[in-house]
Amino acid sequence: MAVQSSPCLETLFGDPYQPDNPVGHAAIMADDERRQLFAAGERLLDGWNANAEFVPRELGGRLESTDALVRRLRPVFRRDAALGVGYGVDSFMAASAVWLSDSEVARKRLAELLLAGGPGGGKVSGAHHELTIGPDLRQPALRAARHGPQIRLTGRQEVINNAGRAQAAVVVAGIGDSRSGGSHSLLLVQLAELPAGCLSRLPRWRTDGIRGCQIGGLSFDSCPVPEQAMIGMVGEGMPVARPSLPVSRCVAAGIGLGMVDGALFTVLRFAVARRLYGRCVGDFSHARAVLASAFTDLLIADCLVTAAARAVHLLPVNADVYSAATKYLVPLMLEEAVNNLAVVLGARCYLREGEHAVFGKHMRDLPALGIVLGGGLPSQLTVLRQLPGLMRALPESAEAPPELFDPSGPVPPWEPDQLGPTSPMGNPQPDPLLAALPAAVDTMRSEHGGEAGLGALAAELVVAMRELSRDAAGIPPGERGVLAGPASLALTDRYATLLAAAACIGVWTHHPGQLGPAGTAWLQAALSRLLHRIGRHPAPVPTELDDALYAELLRRAGERRGFGLSDELVSRTLPGAA
Amino acid sequence: MPYPALAEVHRLEHHLGDPSDPQTVFSYRRCLALDDDEQFPAEICRQLEDFGLQHYYVPARHGGRLADYDTSIQLVRALARRDLTVAIGHSASYLGAVCVWVAGNAAQGLRLASIIGAGEPVAWALTEREHGSDLLAGEVRAIRTGIGYRLTGEKWLINNAIRSSTLCVLARTRDEGGPRGFSLFLVEKARVPAGGVRWLPKVPTHGIRGVDVSGFRLERVKVTSANMIGPEGSGLETVLKALQLTRTLCAALSVGGTDHALRLAMRVADRREVSGCCLLEAPWMATTLAECYADHLLAEAFCVVAGRAIQTLTPELSVIAAAIKYVLPVRAEAMIARLRRLLGPRVLLAGGPEGGMFGKVERDHRIVSLFDGNTLVNLTTLIGQFPLLVRAREAGRPPAAGLRTCCELSQNLPDGDLGRLSLVATRGCSLLLALPAAVEELTALRRSEPELDSVADAARRLDAAVGTLHRLMDQLPPARLDMPPVAFDLAGRLATAMAGAAALLLWLRNRDAAARRGSVTAALWCHGGWLHACLSRVLVALGDSSHIQRVPHDVLLHVLGRQVASGVAPSLFSSPQPDGELR
Repeated sequence: MAVQSSPCLETLFGDPYQPDNPVGHAAIMADDERRQLFAAGERLLDGWNANAEFVPRELGGRLESTDALVRRLRPVFRRDAALGVGYGVDSFMAASAVWLSDSEVARKRLAELLLAGGPGGGKVSGAHHELTIGPDLRQPALRAARHGPQIRLTGRQEVINNAGRAQAAVVVAGIGDSRSGGSHSLLLVQLAELPAGCLSRLPRWRTDGIRGCQIGGLSFDSCPVPEQAMIGMVGEGMPVARPSLPVSRCVAAGIGLGMVDGALFTVLRFAVARRLYGRCVGDFSHARAVLASAFTDLLIADCLVTAAARAVHLLPVNADVYSAATKYLVPLMLEEAVNNLAVVLGARCYLREGEHAVFGKHMRDLPALGIVLGGGLPSQLTVLRQLPGLMRALPESAEAPPELFDPSGPVPPWEPDQLGPTSPMGNPQPDPLLAALPAAVDTMRSEHGGEAGLGALAAELVVAMRELSRDAAGIPPGERGVLAGPASLALTDRYATLLAAAACIGVWTHHPGQLGPAGTAWLQAALSRLLHRIGRHPAPVPTELDDALYAELLRRAGERRGFGLSDELVSRTLPGAA
Repeated sequence: MPYPALAEVHRLEHHLGDPSDPQTVFSYRRCLALDDDEQFPAEICRQLEDFGLQHYYVPARHGGRLADYDTSIQLVRALARRDLTVAIGHSASYLGAVCVWVAGNAAQGLRLASIIGAGEPVAWALTEREHGSDLLAGEVRAIRTGIGYRLTGEKWLINNAIRSSTLCVLARTRDEGGPRGFSLFLVEKARVPAGGVRWLPKVPTHGIRGVDVSGFRLERVKVTSANMIGPEGSGLETVLKALQLTRTLCAALSVGGTDHALRLAMRVADRREVSGCCLLEAPWMATTLAECYADHLLAEAFCVVAGRAIQTLTPELSVIAAAIKYVLPVRAEAMIARLRRLLGPRVLLAGGPEGGMFGKVERDHRIVSLFDGNTLVNLTTLIGQFPLLVRAREAGRPPAAGLRTCCELSQNLPDGDLGRLSLVATRGCSLLLALPAAVEELTALRRSEPELDSVADAARRLDAAVGTLHRLMDQLPPARLDMPPVAFDLAGRLATAMAGAAALLLWLRNRDAAARRGSVTAALWCHGGWLHACLSRVLVALGDSSHIQRVPHDVLLHVLGRQVASGVAPSLFSSPQPDGELR
């Protein structure tokens, strides 16, 4: 299928606040009420040939990099997360293991299926791989056994998106009878080609949040699948699927960025229009501080997702840990940011009607995304397992490649061989992102020491990093897995938080233009908030910083720009603005 | 540890039957189905009225059974434990009536007592679409006529607006408004001519989907002066005093909500296996559950103390109610979210573990921090009283005499005198003023009971933190409409510290009685175990995590496990249960 340069999704969706916009908030809420995936949105994405976003360029699609995928889909997630994951991101999650495999036949077949078009596009189901092969939280409920030239598949794959309508499924199946968990195979099963009667599509689950998603299950009863369904060698399911984990984790974490961007605009819109106690809500310092903090958190999250997603391409050997830290921290931070924003919106955050209803929908959907994308715990355990070695191997100083922090720059294609398979026993990889902190901090102190306390905050970060190093060395060997103690597990939060700080400093140092005119104010607020998060208590952020960040929010909203790193044009206007 | 207020809860539970049995009227399953269909739980409410629950909303002096507020609070908690939608839908009648209890005359009291006694819902109509919590901006007008008033305007987001038979309406009686510019009126719908009241459609909400949240428009509705509550112009003052009662009552909703969430979490955790071992054996899991239980016990302790403060520390309720209405819902929200993450996102699947009930508890409970004075309103109320609190502390003022009865559960409560409610706590807050002496008392106890060493240290740290808070409060600029964000931060910390102080006082005043009983909960009270866990949680919120590792989490988890397994509420107190297990 020919790939053409596509019009911007923001333009196609238009201003979601216009009540008569057929792909606006009113229409989205109406389909959400019916527990139906946003139909007009699906048609729009069909017309945009959105599935091409999920297919690598060399197979005829438009997919170039993890980072670009996250960014290009942001207009969808600003409006409706259910549409984003239900239309296609979950297809991408299922497909990613196939893209990163060397099974050319499977890659081609899957690309054809996804690019074939038709209403709703091609759909591929698959449990997020971390749920099936993650750190032993779950045993595969599917088993594959060989019967002559065929493989027979028996068992269930439950709680997967689009199970009722997918043409294919990527599944992880246990081999043989052993429940030791050691042996799995990855299969691309063409559901439409299975003989009648052996596949049942299980009833749809109802969910609190992402209500439009058609989450169901597949039940296989001795289903014959051909040999070429197997991706990689028999029993190699884990090594085959593992390189896709960093990719899918970054995409999963990036979803929330669009949602919080949308939610933040809704509350800003409320703050400039609503009058309480004789003045605008935005005239209250507290409201401005809450909005500024949410903006700060959103940019922090964007920096971390950007660095982790680009590390998939630029620092593949580090991508496993970076992506796991990101998948753990970002959804948590974004959920907290939305909770804080809800305080400003008040009772309106609880209503399913009216112009602010989309905020409550985002607030409800953010935690629910975990149903299909997995929660943060497996990622935390991934970090924990590697943390002692990682901190031991931390170089005295290092430099992270500046391209890591530039959302507009190109990246090399991903290298599956280098992605992911950090064996627990293998040598830990030096961590250039975190190790870059001390040098970056030295620079900041010499160049910006007097600048509103930035130097002091940065120095505090280095102290925190040294302490983490010390504490990580003390994690007992028996506490690096699911039987960890709370103090050990808490170290993963500190690591992820420091990594986020390093990503923020990296963007500010190398690509300050991405942050807009309030970049330095933002960095100070960001580092202060991150230090707070890990139990350090720098001086409170001066209210002038809040005001500067609030002004930047108003500037971006006025110029119809998004609140993320690349402040792209967005179709929405503040009331009263032309 | 027995708690007399729970006796009525036992009777209610017996009347309602086993909630996990689908045949029961007030069953979990039915509540889920009603929620799905956005239907009001009318049949369940009828069963509550058969029990006579509505009489607990009517003060004894008007012929009701509301003698001790802590009993009514525990009854509402029991409802909330089963279903927050039912609890919020039913107890709304208390909100509708409370202004009459605070400022109404005998005839109004009698009339309302008979309305509520008959099981008719009453609604409290304060808020308007464009003004939310800014009551001074209210536009509903009451224009004086020869024999009374004519009411015109719209009220919105009113609980029970459509179902109620009687409305309590705040309306502007002076053109220029102002603190003396509003009055309260009782409007009996049956007496309004056709066309006088136009109902607005039910407002769809994310949680409490079955509750009748709606509004109405009054069009020149005539009321006589006999239907005005208190003198003309007293409406706002009455509302602000009444809110002190309802905000304290709201604590029951949060504690009931976390009762339920903890029960669900334990059941899921108990069943889930990882690598062949029960997930509960994972230390991080066990500790997280124990910390959540500690959060719950802290909330319960504050809820009990604040509920008893209505009758014993009445003039201080302006501080206590604002603190508890802020701190309990917000901490409960965080705790429920923490449990959700612990159990994994699939608890949000309807038909998944516990049939989607966990998601419903989280959704339903979110309303608690939004209504009846939201987070900002409560923090602002506290900030406004900072100077009084600072002055009381600097003067070394002793706590009020009522504090002992407030905290000692074997003491009978005095009759409440709502006339002593005050808009501000002019003499400070006894819970805070009692802290230094309480720390000394605990430190002295430690000499004969060395196991109290850690908890005494935690209490000392709390006292020191409260001292620091007062110093910072004193440094704030004078109160004005737009306070800096740091003031809100301090108010939040102060409210958390007050919860800690309440826990400390509750333990000190009841530890002897608690230790004497050979019940499951005795283990919690022994050597201040639960208190230590709660103070550690308070200290963490105040930025001091020095006690995290010293808390006896195993004791807490053991008691929680037994309480959930035997079907009683997770609590500091042993509840008399039909199965006799904890009697």
